[in-house]
Amino acid sequence: MSEAASAPAAQGRVEFRNVTKQFGSTRAVSEVSFSGRAGSIHAVTGENGAGKSTLMKMLAGVHVADAGEILIDGRPVSFPGTAAAREEGVSTVFQELTLLPNLTLAENMFLGREPRRYGMLDRQAMRRRSRDALASIGIDIDPDVTCGDLALSEQHLVEVAKASVADSKIVIYDEPTAALDGPGTEKLFRLIEEQKKAGKLVFYISHRLDEIFRLCDTTTVLKDGAHVATLPTAELTRDRLVSLMVGRELAQMYPPRATKAGGAALVVDGLVARSGRPGVSFGVKRGEIVGLAGIEGQGQRDIMRAVAGLAPGISGNATATDRQGAVFPVGSSIVANTRAGIGFIPEDRKSEGLFLSLSISQNIALGMLRKASMFAAAVIDRGRIAALMKQMAVRARDAGQAVASLSGGNQQKVMFGRWFSADVDLMLIEEPTRGVDVGAKAEIYRLLREFTENGGAILMTSSELTEHIGLCDRILVVREGAIVAEIEGARATEETIMTPALTGSHGERAAA
Amino acid sequence: MIAILPRRMGRTGLGVVSIGLPILLFVGLSLQADNFLQAQNIANINSQITTLLIVALGQLFVALIGGIDISVGSVVSLSSTLLVMVDPALAVPAALLAGAVIGLANGVGVAIFGVHPLIMTLAMATFVQGLALLMMSGSGGTVPEALIWMAKTSFGGVPVSFLWCLAAVAVTAVLLNRTRFGLHVYAIGAGEQSAAFSGVRIASTRIACYVICSLAGSMAAIYLTGRIASGDPTMGRPFSLDSVTAIALGGVLLSGGIGGVWAALLGTLTLGLITNGMNLTGVSPFFREAITGVLLLVAVSLHRRKVIGI
Repeated sequence: MSEAASAPAAQGRVEFRNVTKQFGSTRAVSEVSFSGRAGSIHAVTGENGAGKSTLMKMLAGVHVADAGEILIDGRPVSFPGTAAAREEGVSTVFQELTLLPNLTLAENMFLGREPRRYGMLDRQAMRRRSRDALASIGIDIDPDVTCGDLALSEQHLVEVAKASVADSKIVIYDEPTAALDGPGTEKLFRLIEEQKKAGKLVFYISHRLDEIFRLCDTTTVLKDGAHVATLPTAELTRDRLVSLMVGRELAQMYPPRATKAGGAALVVDGLVARSGRPGVSFGVKRGEIVGLAGIEGQGQRDIMRAVAGLAPGISGNATATDRQGAVFPVGSSIVANTRAGIGFIPEDRKSEGLFLSLSISQNIALGMLRKASMFAAAVIDRGRIAALMKQMAVRARDAGQAVASLSGGNQQKVMFGRWFSADVDLMLIEEPTRGVDVGAKAEIYRLLREFTENGGAILMTSSELTEHIGLCDRILVVREGAIVAEIEGARATEETIMTPALTGSHGERAAA
Repeated sequence: MIAILPRRMGRTGLGVVSIGLPILLFVGLSLQADNFLQAQNIANINSQITTLLIVALGQLFVALIGGIDISVGSVVSLSSTLLVMVDPALAVPAALLAGAVIGLANGVGVAIFGVHPLIMTLAMATFVQGLALLMMSGSGGTVPEALIWMAKTSFGGVPVSFLWCLAAVAVTAVLLNRTRFGLHVYAIGAGEQSAAFSGVRIASTRIACYVICSLAGSMAAIYLTGRIASGDPTMGRPFSLDSVTAIALGGVLLSGGIGGVWAALLGTLTLGLITNGMNLTGVSPFFREAITGVLLLVAVSLHRRKVIGI
């Protein structure tokens, strides 16, 4: 499976040997083996859900491997917690912020490894060493400031500084530039280069190709939890790297696009989702799948949730037209939306979508019963549910099985089944296939296309660009809350989406 | 109102309400009640709030990690019972041991077995109160002389109850502000996951907070039993709710992460002044009980805010 091991084992500071991690029924990481050498920057890349973060979290002491072993300097290690990993010289900048808002900057920097004098906290040392660490990456913030008072980008830089104060030989960065601005990114890159010169091994998790080519000596590609290749970055081209990451023809995954679009299903006019953001206007026609794309956190989610009625917009209008041609307002509340025939699929199906302890049929029946009066007997049409489960190829023992015990893909199908059975004709979908394995993904794409072929309309967001490109008929690129580009699905590429998403204009091509 | 607060208030929980309310009460009572400012009355307030302060400081630890301890009142009751029932030489160790064991059980239930703190400590409260009443059905017994002395003597005009308060505040302040443990308590209250990522031991820290809270209950009983010179199996009844109300009044966030010694102290003082004021102005003590419930609600609503993103 592996194409090449980049370094002889003798030089390997970290070696993964057949490392495997399972969450429920999904294999997040499957028999991954490769090694990284001291004094290098090692990219770990792959699509969302490829297992990059999970693999690194085993080295960081967050997860424990189910099988296989991790060696540091030739010695097998197993960390029950992050403190143990740090003891061995592994420090991590996590993707999620770990700064605690009620602690001061200095306290946060040394949390879990506080310097002490006479058994008490040595606050002076904490302050002094924090100031030094911050200065080393070129930022000047008072170490006594409470972290909750810092701006988000400042917090991310502090997070980086926190990992650098540790006396470590291995540093893991998990998508560190996601929340940094330009100058912040430059500071980070300088720091990483210095860490490399100091002989540390830096693991750099990212799917941003520019960063990998600019920074990394070696690149490991993961896909669906498995190791694809570990190669010197110099031997790679952009195209080669992308094909290693995607690893399959897009055409096989995605159904054909819409042949014809019908009348308007959703019209959004000047909707301001959050104060300070510009108003957005767009429409979705019957038979269409429209995607809201962009860098994470640019406002796609706000627009979606405003239309869904979860966080009603500040001003502007949104109306939907049902099959009979009746026009009604949407977005005032989620309950009104649902009763009017608009289905919403949240990104976190476990907490916002499904009732995990209830059965498949109960979860689906909620949709069927949406128009029933509150005190009517809840009669569940078992035949209809059985037919739906068959149509959607839900893999379960029977309709009475609790949803909690299903795999991610089957749970997501149940989520869709609720709205299919409710005869909705507009669906708002966040992350249609998050945490779903590849096989089920293709089935879900087919189901969504069938829904629109039968006159439904879909507005979706996704953090996977390939999903927008493969599935959508039109892609609206959102940047800083505004729609900055509209791209026809058949003509979209990563570049045509990313350029406006990053710069706000289509004129120039992204610097490669 | 929140905006004018200096940013440096950080995680102390202090605010306009927690600082202003006791001052307002103090000024109001000095003007309204003639005998309020007399030395005897001030000493009364001091000895009245000592027990509550000790319990509230214990409750503070549990609140800072986002928990609640409803059983601390029962710990006071059981400890008081033990103090008059076991051999005088073993009375104090027995009371402290009982507190430690109950706190450990609470902590293990919450931190290891994942029982909701309200359920865990409510069950414990009922169980422990039952034990106390089984051992002794009404107040009485002989309190060791040393305990009475420890609660009633004075040094050069300074009543010993003041020293109890001082010691309790000092110990809490050192634990919270000068030790790793204290820092970890705040960290857990603000975000368990992040704290764990930074290498903080979550379970043992949480257990320690429940143990401290129960031990505070035992300490409070040692003081109060000495002061009234009698054991009482229902002595602790008001303290579970009052300690939560007191710290909430002082600005401690009951969902964790915000609060401190000053907040607990000012909150206790506020509640103490309200009680004292009602005594002086001749309001029924039952009204005091009724108003505690209202105060808890008011305190939680007044302090509901997002100061620094918690």
